[in-house]
Amino acid sequence: MTNLTNTVMKSRAAMLIRPTLMGLLAALSVCGSGNAQEIPKAGMPAIVTDQSKLPHVVLMSMGGTIASRAADRLNITNYGGPGVPRVDPDDWVHDLPELANIARVTTEDFRSPVGRATGTETFEDLQKVAKRLNELAADKSVDGIVVTHGTNTMAETAYYMDLVVKTHKPIVFVGAQRPWTGLSGDSPLNLFNAVRVAASKDAWDKGVLHAMNQNINTARDVMKSSSYRVQTFKGVDVGPIGFADPDKVVFYREPVRKHTYMSEFAGHDYTEVPQVQVAYGYQEAPGYLIDAMVDHGVKGIVIDGTGAGSATTSQTEAIKRAQAKGVVIVMTSRTRSGRVQDTPRRKEAMIVPGDNLQPEKARILLELALTKTTDIAEITRIFDEY
Amino acid sequence: MSRVLSGSKLITLLAVFVSSAVLAAPLPKVKLFTTGGTIQSRALSRDKMMEYDDGPKVTPEELIADLPELKDIADVSYTEISNVGSPSVNTEIQLKLAKAINEWLAKPESTGAVVTHGTATLEETAYFLNLVVKSDKPVVVIGAMHPFSAISRDGPFNLYNGVRVAASKEAKGKGVMVLLNDEISAARDVTKNNTYRVDTFVSRDMGPIGFADSDRIAFYRNSLKRHTAKSEFDVSKLMNLPKVDIVYGYQEADRAPIDALVAAGAKGIILDDSATAFAAAAKDGQAKGVVFVQSDRKGSGRVVLSDKAAARGVVTADNLNAQKSRILLRLALTKTSDPKEIQRIFNEY
Repeated sequence: MTNLTNTVMKSRAAMLIRPTLMGLLAALSVCGSGNAQEIPKAGMPAIVTDQSKLPHVVLMSMGGTIASRAADRLNITNYGGPGVPRVDPDDWVHDLPELANIARVTTEDFRSPVGRATGTETFEDLQKVAKRLNELAADKSVDGIVVTHGTNTMAETAYYMDLVVKTHKPIVFVGAQRPWTGLSGDSPLNLFNAVRVAASKDAWDKGVLHAMNQNINTARDVMKSSSYRVQTFKGVDVGPIGFADPDKVVFYREPVRKHTYMSEFAGHDYTEVPQVQVAYGYQEAPGYLIDAMVDHGVKGIVIDGTGAGSATTSQTEAIKRAQAKGVVIVMTSRTRSGRVQDTPRRKEAMIVPGDNLQPEKARILLELALTKTTDIAEITRIFDEY
Repeated sequence: MSRVLSGSKLITLLAVFVSSAVLAAPLPKVKLFTTGGTIQSRALSRDKMMEYDDGPKVTPEELIADLPELKDIADVSYTEISNVGSPSVNTEIQLKLAKAINEWLAKPESTGAVVTHGTATLEETAYFLNLVVKSDKPVVVIGAMHPFSAISRDGPFNLYNGVRVAASKEAKGKGVMVLLNDEISAARDVTKNNTYRVDTFVSRDMGPIGFADSDRIAFYRNSLKRHTAKSEFDVSKLMNLPKVDIVYGYQEADRAPIDALVAAGAKGIILDDSATAFAAAAKDGQAKGVVFVQSDRKGSGRVVLSDKAAARGVVTADNLNAQKSRILLRLALTKTSDPKEIQRIFNEY
C-alpha cells in the first residue's frame, strides 16, 4: 500500500460502513455548537510530511463512550443515544492530526448498531472482531492495533482477544469515562496514548493490552473498579505493567500467564462456544438459580463465591446436581483480589479453582476450555496457566 | 484369588518403596543469611509491639528451631551476617552479605537464599542485592512487623514462605524478591509504606509479582528491568562504595545541605524533589565533579526524561525513590562519573 501523507487510509471494513450524509451534518452541527468540542485548537504541533518510516497502526472502533457525543460539554452521564451522532473513526483522526506524527493510522468500523450500548456486545460481535484481529495480526503491513470499546465490558472483550488472537503485535484496548465532547474529557489523550502504545516496539509480545489514564494494564488482569471516575481501571492484585508517560512509553513488567501467541486457543475462528453462566455468592444464595442454568442447557457455571470461594448449602447441593449432568463448575471469589486456591476439599468436590480471575473472565476462559475438554484436571491446568 | 491378592500386595509394597524413595530424594538446599531486625527481636512481654528490644536478640539457630516444618520443604543452613536493626545496616554489612550470598549461590548444590532484615531499610539492601547478586537462583528478603515474642507474630510465616519461594523452581530468574504477608514483590519496586501495620510493603507504581499461597507459589509478572545475572555491577573486589547522600526538597529548602555534602566529599547527591536554591548549588557541586540525580518525593510515577535536565547534566531517577536512587548511583559511580552513561544506567535498572 502506498503512503498517503496526512490522509487516512481507508481499509475495507471502514469502506463498508459509511456515515450517512444526515449523520455527518448532525455531527457537524453538534461540533459547531461552540461549547461541545472540547479539544483545544491552539498549539498544534508541526506534522511530519514523510510518514513512510512510521509504524502502521489500525484504529478499530467498537464504539463506547470514547465514540460518543453530547450537545452539552457538562453532560458526562447521558450522552449518545438515538438522534445524537456518534464519533466516526475518521473523526478521531480528523480531530487529532497529531496522530500522524506517531503512526500511519488507518481506521476500521466494528461498532454495534446505533442504540446498542456497551454491555450489549454479543458473542457474534466478539467473533467478528477476533477474526479480523487474527487477519490483521497476520498482515505484515500492520504494526499495531488499537481497539476502542465501551468501558463496562471492555475487559471481557480484551481478555477474549488475549486468548484467541495469535499475535506478537500490540493490540491495545482503549475507552474513556467521558464522551469525546466532555469537559476535561479523557477521550483524546487516551486515544492518543493508545496509538503511542500500539506504535511502540516495546509493546510487542505482551499480550492484549489496555491503555487508559496513562496506565498500561494486561487484558487478563485489568478490571473496571469505579463507575464514573477516570481512574477506574486497575490491574487486580498485580498492578499495571507500564505507563504512557509524556517522554516515552515505558514498560516495567511482562505477564507470566499464557496469552496471544502462546495460547492454545489462538488463531482459531470460534463461531460458537459452549454456554457458561455466572452465579453470584451471598448469604442464602439459592441453588435453584443454578438448577435453572442447567435446565437452560449451560455446559459450565462460574460460582462467584464469598471469601476464599465458598458456596451456600443450597448452592452446593445444586452444584452436585449440575455436575451429575456433566456441567463443569469453576469457583471464583467476589472479593476481587487474591486467588481461589486448589485445596484438597475443592479437588474432592471436583470444582475448578478460578485463580484470581473475575467471574466474567473465568466465564470466557471456561467457554474456551470447554471447546477442548470437560476433564476437571485439564481445565484446572488451563486455569493455572492462563 | 490369593495370587491376585499377593500381586496387589506387591504393587502396594512397590508403591510404598517408590514413595519413600521420593521422600528420600534430596531436599532443595536453602541458606538463611541473617542480618537482624524485628524478626530477630524479642520483648519480655508478648503484647509489646514497639520498643521490643528489652529481651535477648533471636539467633539464627532459634529461628530455624522455632520452625521444624522447614525440614519438610528444604535443607536449611544458615550464615549469620549481623544481628542489628536495619537503620544500622551499612555498606560493610551489605558488601559482606552480597559476597556471602554470591559464594553460596555459586555452589552447584545450592537452590536459593533467604535474608532476614529489619523492615525500615529492607528495600535498600534488597535493591542492592538485586544489582550485585550474580545468579539466577532465587534470593528472598524477609522481615517482620511484630517481634519474635509477640502474639500473632508475622515472622514465622514470612520465614516459612520465604524458604518455600527460595526453594521453588518458579522463582528462578525473577531477581531479588521481598516477601512479607504472602506477597512476593520485586526488590526494585517495593517500598515500606506504613510504620507499624503488617501490610506495609507495597510497590506503589506496580504491584506484587506473585503470591506464596497455600496451594502453590503463583507468579504473574516478570520484571523487565536489568537485575542479578544480567546486571553489570560487580562488588566482589570492593571494600567500600562511593559516598552518595540525599537532600530533601520542600518550600524554601536551603542550599546549605548540598554545600555541606559536597564539602564532606560526596561523589553523588540525590535531590529528592526540587527547590529554587538547589539549581545553583548543584551547578557548583558539578563543577567539583559531583553527580546529581533528580528523584521525586511523591513516591510514585517517573521523573521524566527532559532535554532541560539533560542540558544541566542532571540525571533523572525514573520511578526509583531517593533511597534506591542512592544505591544505584553508588554502584554506577564504581563504573563512571559521566552523567550520560549514568542516565543510561538509570533507564535500564
